[in-house]
Amino acid sequence: MKTIQPHTSSRLDEVKHLRDIFNAQNSKELKVAFDALNASIEISEEDLEVQFNRYFIGPMEPIADPFASIYIDDPDVVMSKSTLHVRELYETMGFTYPLKNIIPDDHLGVELDAYYQLLYLEEAKEITYLSDLRHYFLHEHLSLWVPRFIARALEHSEHDSKAMTFILLQLKSLLIRETTTQGVTA
Amino acid sequence: MSYSKENVESIVNNGISRRSFLKGLAASGVLSSFPGGILQANEDLNTKIPYLGEKSYQTFRNACPRNCYDTCSIKTYVKDGVMQFIEGATESTYTHGGCCVKGNSYVKRVYSARRLKFPMMQVGGKGSGNWKRISWDQAMDIIAKKLLEMKKEDGTLLGAALTKYSGNFGITHYGIEGMFNSIGYTTRLAGTPCWPAGIDAQNLDMGDMWCNDPEEMKDSKFIILWGVNPASNSIHSMKYIYEAKKKGAKVVVIDPVFTEAASKASQYIQIKAGTDGLLALGMAKIIIEAGLHDQKWLDANSKGYKEYKAYLDKEVKLDNVSKITGIPLAMIKELALSFAKAKPATIWMGYGMQRHTNGGSMIRAIDAFVAVSGNIGKYAGGARYGHLNTWGFNYAALSQTKPEGSVGYTGPEGAKGDVAQGKDAKSNYTDRFLNINKTARELINAKEPKVRLLWVACKNVFAQDFDRNQLIRAFQQLDLVVVADQFFNETAKWADIVLPVATQFEEYDVNVSYWHYWLTLNEQAIKPLFEVKSDLEIAAMLSKRMNQLQTGSCTFPQSVDTKAMMAKEFNPGIYEQFGIKSWEELKNGPVKAKAVIPYADGKFKTPSGKFEFYSDKALELFGSALPTYLEVRKPYDKFRMTSPHSRWSLHSQFQNLEWMEDVHPEPYVYINPDDAEAKMVKEGDTVAVFNKQGLLRVKAKLTDNVQAGTVLMYEQWYNNNIYNVNELVDDTSSDMGAFKTGAPGVALHDTFVNFRKL
Ligand code: SF4
Repeated sequence: MKTIQPHTSSRLDEVKHLRDIFNAQNSKELKVAFDALNASIEISEEDLEVQFNRYFIGPMEPIADPFASIYIDDPDVVMSKSTLHVRELYETMGFTYPLKNIIPDDHLGVELDAYYQLLYLEEAKEITYLSDLRHYFLHEHLSLWVPRFIARALEHSEHDSKAMTFILLQLKSLLIRETTTQGVTA
Repeated sequence: MSYSKENVESIVNNGISRRSFLKGLAASGVLSSFPGGILQANEDLNTKIPYLGEKSYQTFRNACPRNCYDTCSIKTYVKDGVMQFIEGATESTYTHGGCCVKGNSYVKRVYSARRLKFPMMQVGGKGSGNWKRISWDQAMDIIAKKLLEMKKEDGTLLGAALTKYSGNFGITHYGIEGMFNSIGYTTRLAGTPCWPAGIDAQNLDMGDMWCNDPEEMKDSKFIILWGVNPASNSIHSMKYIYEAKKKGAKVVVIDPVFTEAASKASQYIQIKAGTDGLLALGMAKIIIEAGLHDQKWLDANSKGYKEYKAYLDKEVKLDNVSKITGIPLAMIKELALSFAKAKPATIWMGYGMQRHTNGGSMIRAIDAFVAVSGNIGKYAGGARYGHLNTWGFNYAALSQTKPEGSVGYTGPEGAKGDVAQGKDAKSNYTDRFLNINKTARELINAKEPKVRLLWVACKNVFAQDFDRNQLIRAFQQLDLVVVADQFFNETAKWADIVLPVATQFEEYDVNVSYWHYWLTLNEQAIKPLFEVKSDLEIAAMLSKRMNQLQTGSCTFPQSVDTKAMMAKEFNPGIYEQFGIKSWEELKNGPVKAKAVIPYADGKFKTPSGKFEFYSDKALELFGSALPTYLEVRKPYDKFRMTSPHSRWSLHSQFQNLEWMEDVHPEPYVYINPDDAEAKMVKEGDTVAVFNKQGLLRVKAKLTDNVQAGTVLMYEQWYNNNIYNVNELVDDTSSDMGAFKTGAPGVALHDTFVNFRKL
C-alpha cells in the first residue's frame, strides 16, 4: 500500500472533516468534526450547535439550506430535478444510499461524502476508474451551487459567528483548491 | 481538467454505455475500496440490463385532511420513491378530478425546505431562537419523565394539557387525544373555535347537525348562500350551484361583504353584520302572512309553531327589520316570497355568521325560516350547515383506557369537542376541560393542579387563538411546551420541544368530509422525510418510554403501524353506509355514502322527535325557547372588523409556501372608500388598525366590497410577518356552543377597531 503523503492526507482529511460537520447528528459529533478541522476557535459544544442550526438546520428558516436543489432548481423545495440528477450520479459511481428518499441525495453532507470517497480512491488507493465522474461531479455540480450556498450564508449572516465563518471559508478554499487541482496526485 | 463532460453524461444517461461502465466498475474491484460513509458501495450493482431508471409511476390514494369543506380525494403519482404530482381523483364526482390551488401545491408542501426535519429543543428559553437537535429517544425521555414527575407530585396528570384543532381531520389523528387518554385524566382545551354556536342551534332545532348532499344543489330551484363564500372556500361546490343557475334557479348571496360568490350570484344582498337572524324572522313572517308556508308539513313535523308564529306576529315589525338589516323592505319581500314559491329551495349557512354574540340564535332563525317554507326533509332542499353523518368510525386510536388507578377531575362534567370522546362509565373522574376559545386566560388561571405541560398538535395556537400577549405569558409560565407540527410557526417559536410530524403522504389514514358524502383512503405514498413521524408513532414512542420508566403508566400501544391503525377504524356500519365489503376496496378510489335525505322520514332527534321551534333545552341553556331576535354586541370602537378566510390558505396552513407568497404576499386592511376618505387614507397607505386589544400596521386597500363602517382583514398568518389579525380580537363568546361542543364559540366578527394613517 502506498504511503500517504502529508499533502494528500490533509486534502482528504479536510473533505472528511467538512463532511462530518455537515452530517453531524448532535452537538458532540459536530464538535469533534469541528475541532478536527480547527482547534484554534474556542467555542462550547452547545454554542457551536446552536449557531450551526441557525445557519444550516432550523427549525426556523436557516440562513442557507444545505441542499443543491435550493440553489439550482427552486429556492424553497428539496427532492427536485437536481436531487434526482445527483441520485443518478451516485448510482453510476457504484454507491447505494441507505437514506434514499429520507434525506435528499443532494444534501451537502452526502455530496461531500461522495466526493470524499471518490477522492480517497484516487489519493489513497490510486484507483482512477471513477476520476472522470469525480471531476464531473465537482465541476458540473458542486461548483454550480456550493459557492452560492457559501455566499448566501456569509452575506445573510446577521449573527456574526466566527465558527460558522470559519467553516464556510474552509469549504470555500477547499472548493477553490479542488477545482484548480489537476487530475490525480501522483 | 482531465475529464470529458460529454463522456460522463453519456455514461449517466445512455443505457448501453452506462451498462458497460458499470460492468467495468464491478470487474475492477473498485467497490471494495470505497472507504464507506453515508454512501455505501453497491454490492448489487445492476450491470445486466441497460439501466433505464424507474420510469413508471406508482399511484396512491390520498385525501386532503385540512379542515376544508371539500376534503378532496387525491391521486398521487410517485416515481422512484419521490412524489411527482397529484391530481384530484376522478372517481369522486365531488372532487371531479381537480384540487384547489392549495391542494395542487402539495408536492411543494411535502418537499418544502421549510418543513420541520428533526426533533429539536430550545435551549435558551422559550422564544430565544437557540435550538439544539435531540434524538426521538431523548425527546420522549424528557417528556415521559416530566409527565411522571407531575403525576408523582400532583397525584394526577391534570397538569398535562392538550390543545389540538384542526390541521388534520384524518380519523386516526384522534389518536392524539388517544395518547392523552392513555396516560390518565388530563386537561383538554376543548370546544371548537370554528362552528359551535351553529352546531348547538341545529341540534336544538333538529336534534342533529345534518345537511343534504351538496351535489343535490344542482337540482335546487332557489339557493341562498347566506354568509358563505364557496367560490373561495368550497370551490368544488360551485359546479352544482352553476348548474342549478344554468337550469334557471335563482342564486342569492346574503353577506355583509361583497364576496367572490356574490359576484357569481343572480343577486347580492348586503346585510348589516349580526342582523341575519332578524332578516330570517322577517322573511318567515312575510311568507306566513302570504299563506306560502307549508302548513301540512308544520302540523306533522314541528313543535311550537304556534308560539313561534305568535312571536313573529307580536315582536317582529317589518319596518324595523328593514331598518336594522339595512335592506329595503320590497327587496326582503321579494326574496322571501320567491324563495317560498320555488321548490325545492335551500339555504347554505356559513360559519362566519355564527361567530357573533348572537350567532346561534341567527342560525336557529334561518333553520326556522327553511322549515316554515317546507324545505326541510326534501331532496335538494334543506337548511345546510354541515354534518358528521359519515363519521361513524370506531375511533379506535382515540379510545384508550386509562392506566389503572388514574385520578382525575371531579368537578362538573365538561366539554367534548366535535367528535365524542371515549367515555369511562366506571369512573367518577373526568378529564378537566378548559375553553379552547379562551386558551390564554384558561391556561393561566387553571389551578389545582396548574397546567405545567402543554402538547400542541394539528394546531397553530398563536395564529388561531386570541390575545397574543396573554398567550405569551401563558406559554412562558409552563414548564414544558411540546409542539408537534410539520412546519415551524409562531407557536413553535414559544415551544421547548418541537417534533416533526408526517404529512398525509407519509402515513395511512382515512378521511370523510363534514360537507360532502365521500369516503377516501389515505395511503402512505412515500417514506417519511428526515426524521418526521406520524402522530400515532409519536404516541407509541411516548408510551414505550413511559412504560420503560414506569410499567403500566401508559396504555397506548408501544409500537404502531399506521396502516393497521387505520384499518381498525372501520366497522360494519361504515361498510354498509358506503356499500363496500372492506376498506381495501378504497384502493380503487373513493366511494360515496348511500343517498339519504336528512329528515325525509320526519324523524328528528330532538326530545319531541319533531322540528322544534320551541325548545325546552334552549330555554334551559340559553334562556330562550324560540329563535328570537337577539341584538348583536354593541360597538366598542368606531368600525366593525370582520376577519374571514382567504382562498389562498387554511388559517396559517399553506401561506408559508414560498410560491404562495407570490400570489398573496402580504396582509391588507380593506376599507370602504368613504371611510378612507374621511380619514385621509389612500390606496396603499400604511395604516394603524387598533383597538383596546392591540395595534396592527398594515397597508390599506380601498373597496366598495366592504360596507362603510366595516373594515376587513383576512384571518390568516403571513410568513415572515408578525401580522396576526387575532391580536385585535378579544375572546368574547358567542351565545351558543356549550351544549354540544362543551364551550361557546368566539364572537370573532364582533370585533371593533379604529384606524389612522401612519
Ligand atoms: S384545501 Fe380544500 S379544495 Fe383544496 S385540495 Fe384541500 S380539500 Fe380540496
